[in-house]
Amino acid sequence: MPERAWEEGGVEGGNKSAQQIWILILPLRFYSCATLPKASNFSAPGVISKRSWEHGCRAELDGARRDPAVSASSVASLPRARATRAGRWLLWEGGPVLCPPFFRPLTCAFSASALSFPHQEGKQGFGDPFWRSHATVVVVGAPALCRRGSSQPDEAHMSIQSRSNPSDIPHMSDGQVWDQASRNHSIHTCLMEMVLSLQQAVADHITQLATRHQQQDLVPEEQGHNQPIWGQEALLGRLMFQMVNHLQFGATGGQKFQPPCPSEDSKGDVRSREQAQVSKQIYKIFYQLTNFEDTSINYVLSNRGVETSALYHGSFQDYNTYQGNKYHEDKNTSGFINLGTSENKLCTDLLTERLSRSDMNYIDDDLLQYSDWRGQPFLREEVAQFLTYYCKAPAPLDPENVVVLNGCSSVFSALATVLCDPGEAFLVPTPTYSDFVFSAHLYAKVDLVPVDLESQVSDANTHPFQLTVDKLEQALLNAKLEGKKVRGLVLINPQNPLGHIYSQDSLMEYLEFAKKHSLHVIIDEIYMLSVFDESITFRSVLSMESLPDPNKTHMIWGTSKDFGISGFRFGTLYTHNKEVALAMSSFGYLHGISGITQYKLHRLLQDREWIDNVYLPTNHSRLQEAHRFITNELKSSKIPFLSHGSGLYVWISLRKYLDPCTFEEELLLHRRFLDKKLILSCGKTFMCKEPGWFRLVFAATPLLLKHAMQRFYTVLVEQEQDWVVKQLEDAINQEVEDLPASDASQSYSREVILTSGLEGCCSDLGL
Amino acid sequence: MPRPRPSSPYSARSPSPMFTLPQKESRKPTTCPGSVSTRGLHSIYGDGLEREAARKPDQKLLYGVGDPTAMFSSDSPHLSSRGSIIKWFWDSAEEGYRTYHMDEYDEDKNPGGIINLGTSENKLCFDLLSRRLSHSDMLRVEPSLLQYPDWRGHLFLREEVASFLSFYCKSPAPLKPENVVVLNGCASLFSALATVLCEVGEAFLIPAPYYGAITQHVYLYGNVRLVCVYLDSEVTGLETHPFQLTVDKLEMALQGAISEGVKVKGLILINPQNPLGDIYSPGELREYLEFAKRHALHVMVDEVYMLSVFEESVGYRSVLSLEGLPDPQKTHVMWATSKDFGMSGLRFGTLYTENQDVATAVASLCRYHGLSGFVQYQMAQLLRDRDWINQVYLPENHARLKAAHTYVSEELRALGVPFLSHGAGFFIWVDLRKFLPEATFEEERLLWRRFLENKVLLSFGKAFECKEPGWFRLVFSDKAHRLRLGMQRIRQVLEGKSQVAEDPPSCQTQEPRGPHR
Repeated sequence: MPERAWEEGGVEGGNKSAQQIWILILPLRFYSCATLPKASNFSAPGVISKRSWEHGCRAELDGARRDPAVSASSVASLPRARATRAGRWLLWEGGPVLCPPFFRPLTCAFSASALSFPHQEGKQGFGDPFWRSHATVVVVGAPALCRRGSSQPDEAHMSIQSRSNPSDIPHMSDGQVWDQASRNHSIHTCLMEMVLSLQQAVADHITQLATRHQQQDLVPEEQGHNQPIWGQEALLGRLMFQMVNHLQFGATGGQKFQPPCPSEDSKGDVRSREQAQVSKQIYKIFYQLTNFEDTSINYVLSNRGVETSALYHGSFQDYNTYQGNKYHEDKNTSGFINLGTSENKLCTDLLTERLSRSDMNYIDDDLLQYSDWRGQPFLREEVAQFLTYYCKAPAPLDPENVVVLNGCSSVFSALATVLCDPGEAFLVPTPTYSDFVFSAHLYAKVDLVPVDLESQVSDANTHPFQLTVDKLEQALLNAKLEGKKVRGLVLINPQNPLGHIYSQDSLMEYLEFAKKHSLHVIIDEIYMLSVFDESITFRSVLSMESLPDPNKTHMIWGTSKDFGISGFRFGTLYTHNKEVALAMSSFGYLHGISGITQYKLHRLLQDREWIDNVYLPTNHSRLQEAHRFITNELKSSKIPFLSHGSGLYVWISLRKYLDPCTFEEELLLHRRFLDKKLILSCGKTFMCKEPGWFRLVFAATPLLLKHAMQRFYTVLVEQEQDWVVKQLEDAINQEVEDLPASDASQSYSREVILTSGLEGCCSDLGL
Repeated sequence: MPRPRPSSPYSARSPSPMFTLPQKESRKPTTCPGSVSTRGLHSIYGDGLEREAARKPDQKLLYGVGDPTAMFSSDSPHLSSRGSIIKWFWDSAEEGYRTYHMDEYDEDKNPGGIINLGTSENKLCFDLLSRRLSHSDMLRVEPSLLQYPDWRGHLFLREEVASFLSFYCKSPAPLKPENVVVLNGCASLFSALATVLCEVGEAFLIPAPYYGAITQHVYLYGNVRLVCVYLDSEVTGLETHPFQLTVDKLEMALQGAISEGVKVKGLILINPQNPLGDIYSPGELREYLEFAKRHALHVMVDEVYMLSVFEESVGYRSVLSLEGLPDPQKTHVMWATSKDFGMSGLRFGTLYTENQDVATAVASLCRYHGLSGFVQYQMAQLLRDRDWINQVYLPENHARLKAAHTYVSEELRALGVPFLSHGAGFFIWVDLRKFLPEATFEEERLLWRRFLENKVLLSFGKAFECKEPGWFRLVFSDKAHRLRLGMQRIRQVLEGKSQVAEDPPSCQTQEPRGPHR
């Protein structure tokens, strides 16, 4: 039991200081793209040298201060904490950090320096899937907590707790499934500790008040309080908050309890051989910097507000960085190249031209007034006709069944809300489009149950990542066993990120499966016109003659991908179910589209001649060309990939560059790409079960792609070099330990191997 | 005279039926009246408020914890519980609006159609706006406008909004673009703010009567309720005008809500007020803000009518113009072009808050409340054109509003109908209490139906959570010919109706009928 370990530590130390554990929460930005130290500075994976650490702190401090959920005190104290240490900090990288709601009490706890830290809670918190995917947590323990610590009592130790377990896939789910006993136990222990702390704090407070009154009882209530008393009260306030939050948190049962993995296994559990009373120093720093205002600022937002912020910024940080520093052929050649966001930038010329034509600039009173919240009737009619034509519907589609909102995310969010109650779930074959993960979570609070697909081809799996009814059944069964209520199945066709197209037969099977279990099917066909390989036939679900359960089949489409106008914010739902359509209408208020935009869209969709004769052929041929370029590049560098002639991306496997093949390494590689100003999406964000997959968007101009591929190769070469160096170091260390002999011969042989290793990898990459 | 303090606080509905979805988020294990489908036992119009008022005619309601689903009844096999409620929202709230859409008045095509004096829209300046929006500077198409934006809004627009608000709100220091978040309308803003400031089941205080759609905005996604601070038409004690908001009333409502176990997180103020047309003086505003600060409440100030103050004598002051806000970190200001520029169909709203936590959290939700890049561009162009706004648009708009207002108020006076109006907004708050045979919301609804049957759409007081039956909101910002016809139809109903009130027997025989039926 990990708790035991901690407790043992406490017993060993046997004094009060032994119970102090400091937790530093580092925002990802501390070593995000620009400042992530080169891997060559790493002495071991995840270890950052002092220099790069300082560099990171300096560069990111300002940014991090503005970070909503990182309390100012924790950020401000970092550089100083660092300054007290001469040596290395070992940081565990798990991903971006912002405080999820349940963490706020912890931030408080460590700021309130006099507290002993409720470590069970800490563990529960970090054991949470959210943390495992989003946290950079440094636990700085007092001597006694390091079980293998040296015998010197004043030696400082840092142990890093990583909860990142490679075999675990992050669920966004709020499990109700956690072990009731352990849950109760841990809450109980936490509360007991808090109560004890509170008791202590109250006692101190009273003592202080008493002494103060003795000292100066002349002016009993002038000016309120003096500093120490004020500090005490702040502390009390925090404690109360913490307890209340904890109670609420515990009562909601919103978090999945994960027994923390034993620290022996934890890769990051190291001890420092550095001198001096770090814990004491940190203590001081926190004490000085702690200020009630700083910590209370977090209480401005509701828990879900903090979570929303955290989730969003955790996931879209790269995107925000990109927005601030975009690559431009002439103006900013060192800016970020974004092959991570799925946008089609190949046809902006055509669209700009089309949208600048005079017929687009019509303004009417109607467009400026409140309209029907389901969307302007003229637009819904146009959408119905458009879908009838391009989806080859057997009968004309009914405009009354069309709901028009500002983007497919909005459609999905609203649809999830009207189909599921909070905590209910959708089945979703993974890897899947990451946005659905957020959309399900942010507003709707709906869980996604992954149907994990495998890249390995076997008897049951005739092609990589194949979706079969068996797998659906299995996932559904598992979800039921876990007590999840599954309300629907989410399909993306053409698939994102795999690029698969479901054949009509398999689609039918999935629909039959859904009908059998009376599940809704949400089918996202947002790439339906981006099938650029003519040999492939895509069949929309709306083209089927008879749907197994038309009342539960809902189709989503939008112009973002197929027309490359994601900035337009247009998404539409087609459902045969009038009730769903009406319920969705209520969201017209919240996801409405400007009348002017609706008019432009109506004109655009109406111009069938331009679409058929100009836009689609050009778009497809440009996509083909870009696709050919990328696939040739990948083939020549022997990088395996999946692509099926549709979509704007290829799904590539960089597993061979990861050692070990874990999500941590995947993330490190991802950061390396960022370092080189190249944004790709890593498999984890698609809930892919296997580490090492990346999605590369190729719908960009040839010049940009060429630049991007250069950066791509540079990173891979570096990655291989580092791998070689690491292998060597390991080998050498091993040898040194085994046989501490002649230094000269060691370094010689090392160099030789190093050089030959590099040549090897360069030739591998075809450079 | 001090307000009579009730010995035990009582609410609009007791026990307060707290809406709890079958979910684990709900923090309060108490008052969960079973599944949603079992509720809705109230008669259609007779809800708790009315029964309460009827039972205790002497005592005044001080506050009410809103339950948006009090009348919800049907459940659907295809929808989730909340989905059913959401659909029910649509079905019930839109009744008049949908009737109107099926039979809209058109001078040539449908002269017998319904005239809409219910929706608060400014239809007086479409000519100016159409011309301005068709101007060549509006027609630029740039690739960056076609791509995913910064979700807070394009920087060029946020800069423009900041400088626009600095100028028109007369802020003491220039406002900053990083404090601006742009979304598709104030409805979205209410939804996003409710979500990031409150947990499920928590509440905002709001002085009632208020713009009723807010109930739905904060409820749909956020599951946040509103606690009404009921205001009276009767002027008592130190009050100077009807429906005056005082700190006492706020305090009492807050305490009442707390005593019912409702956690209040903020206060919503609408200034200029909708539907009263009141304007809060800087002194009052500061008092309310101080009150909020005392109780650590957020204040959301909806200033969506700030440029629609057409009576120059009224000294309107934006909250952004106040020096030294009591709690700037918890003061959030909303504005939109829907009203002041008469473009409700454009869906442009904006938040100004100094609190970066709030701005960032709201921006995280902007993925769902995004605004087309084009429209953002056009809005920036429009807001930038200070010359046009100051010299063309605002003077003309105010003059037309004033003319329309004068006409309608004259008409009402001629009808002997009392009303409230303060020279701001698009509406007049009309007191038709004497036309109700009985002071109930059922009668209010019946009167409203009569108006609708006579092809004129008004908004009744219940929709604004007004606690006194018989108040109506009449929107006057419409073209003269429609206004004339609308007033004529109102007159027909009221004259028929007033006869009814005086002489009940004749009511059966003299059913008022519009000339166009």
